[in-house]
Amino acid sequence: MHQNTPLKGYSKFMSHQTTWMYVIALIVLITMALMAVMLGPVEINYLNRTSAQDDFVENYILWQVRLPRILFAMTIGASLGLAGALTQGLFRNPLADPGLLGVSSGAAAAATGAIVFSGHLAWVLPESLRIWILPSAAFCGALGICFLLDRLAKWLTPGSVIGLLLTGIAINALVAAFIGLSTYLANDEQLRNLSFWTMGSLAGANWLVLVLMIFVLLIAFFFSQTLTVQINALSLGEAVAGQLGINLKQLRQRIILMVAFLSACAVAWCGMIGFISLIAPHIARAIVGPDHRQVLPLSMLFGGLLLLLADTLARTVAIPAEIPVGIFTALLGAPFFLSLLARQGKALT
Amino acid sequence: MPTNKLLMSLKDVSLQKISFQACLNNLGPFSIDIRSNERIAILGPSGAGKSTLLQIMTGLHQHTGQLEFLEKPIGQWGVQELAYKRAFLPQQHEAAFNLSTKLIISLGRVVRDHDPDLIQIVKASSRAARAEHLLNRSYQSLSGGEKARVHLARIFAQLWDQENGIVLIDEPLTALDPGLQIDLLASILEFCQHRSHTLVAILHDIQQAIDHFERLILIKDGKIVADLPSVPSPKAELEHLYGMTLESIPRPGRKDLLLPSSSGCSHII
Repeated sequence: MHQNTPLKGYSKFMSHQTTWMYVIALIVLITMALMAVMLGPVEINYLNRTSAQDDFVENYILWQVRLPRILFAMTIGASLGLAGALTQGLFRNPLADPGLLGVSSGAAAAATGAIVFSGHLAWVLPESLRIWILPSAAFCGALGICFLLDRLAKWLTPGSVIGLLLTGIAINALVAAFIGLSTYLANDEQLRNLSFWTMGSLAGANWLVLVLMIFVLLIAFFFSQTLTVQINALSLGEAVAGQLGINLKQLRQRIILMVAFLSACAVAWCGMIGFISLIAPHIARAIVGPDHRQVLPLSMLFGGLLLLLADTLARTVAIPAEIPVGIFTALLGAPFFLSLLARQGKALT
Repeated sequence: MPTNKLLMSLKDVSLQKISFQACLNNLGPFSIDIRSNERIAILGPSGAGKSTLLQIMTGLHQHTGQLEFLEKPIGQWGVQELAYKRAFLPQQHEAAFNLSTKLIISLGRVVRDHDPDLIQIVKASSRAARAEHLLNRSYQSLSGGEKARVHLARIFAQLWDQENGIVLIDEPLTALDPGLQIDLLASILEFCQHRSHTLVAILHDIQQAIDHFERLILIKDGKIVADLPSVPSPKAELEHLYGMTLESIPRPGRKDLLLPSSSGCSHII
């Protein structure tokens, strides 16, 4: 009976069903992007242009404001989705998330510190390098928190889900104190920059940052694709994965580096955007099952979709004002997290 | 069997750092030589340190003393090389994310980059572990005994096309029905015999150990109290090990049956 059924799930090839999921998700994503282009304070109707007078303004808005922002939302969302899927794979836990565990706030704290305490550094460095100050500070922060978390949770509460999340809470609190201190010491202009970090915003999108972010995402994606089978093995537990020939130390370090890199870039250019990295892998898993070879790419797709949705709402609900996108992701994410807790209730105790 | 090649040797091996679990503190030192093609059962009361000894053999814990695999210190082996030679079935099975049964079994062969026979081997090993009907189920829908069979199939898949390896198994039969226990033990023994794998298994059932394993290692309070062949019947050693009296019932053509005798338990009532 089993002879003729395709053994999907571990075969090297995708089943038709999975391929269709990718196609559908991509079509939805593209449709949403096209709709998002039209929406905004200035309506752009690229199907029937009326007067040549408006063309110039419309073109400028389309090419310099709206298009980069929409693409940026999708790229950042995809990065967050990938970071979330990797974090959950590393901690073997569907409740893990760079935001909840303090990785994003670690990155934000380091970036905040960089804004407030290295005000003079910006003058010394040449302009071309200034764009990298915040990302590299954020990267150091995220990396530090990741390693701290990995060690601390393993040392204090080995193998415990609650232990991991509580460690995340403690780290979040510690980091929040640092952000608070920086805010207290900041001057007015710095303060305006800082408020950006706490809420998260995609308004800073431009072509340069977009290209850089796409580059980062592509590197992380192709690198992560080489690790998916090992992450699958990791979900059998560390003891077993080691016996199966997985170099655990190396795998951990690589995942941590990638998570830190992705979260740091997202935080550095868009501030803290919560919950995308928690929800996207869950949707992916609900659709294609728990195999990380499919979960990682699909998490990226859904991350992009979710953030595009949230950002479009943020831009258009209160035209011409703009609501911070973090509010929408939190509105979406908090109930989702609670429903997850409700479902996982038994496993946690 | 002194003619066989030395596969693994432990010399004065004990845990290196004092663990958080107090019960592990006075463990070892262990000195054992394991040769190829041996079948070794580890017996002992609960909490005696059987699982820890097995885990030390897998290199899972930091240890002092010498632990050598094929006459090379275990630290000098790469984890990938070892995965072709050694398989380990822990007592507790965990699988995050509700992976499919097929995927779990195929993960036994994760170390191979190119594996053209993967599907055949997964099928064959699941058949050997009596888990073939579970292939299309998700892990979390399985019962304890079914999970044990899936993980056994994973071990089989890992060493399916290898020879002269070592299989370390921690109580594989506890969650199974009596009939299935006999069935699966036979399957494990056959698997190892066909491929000249050494089998080291922790068992709870004295009789299974005596009947099917030629060497017994008895462990009590973290020390090896005896390391002896299963014939002649090690009645006195086992009585001492478990602190009870055993009754030996002769069976024509087979090894004696050892049963806990009621007189030994009378003081409990």
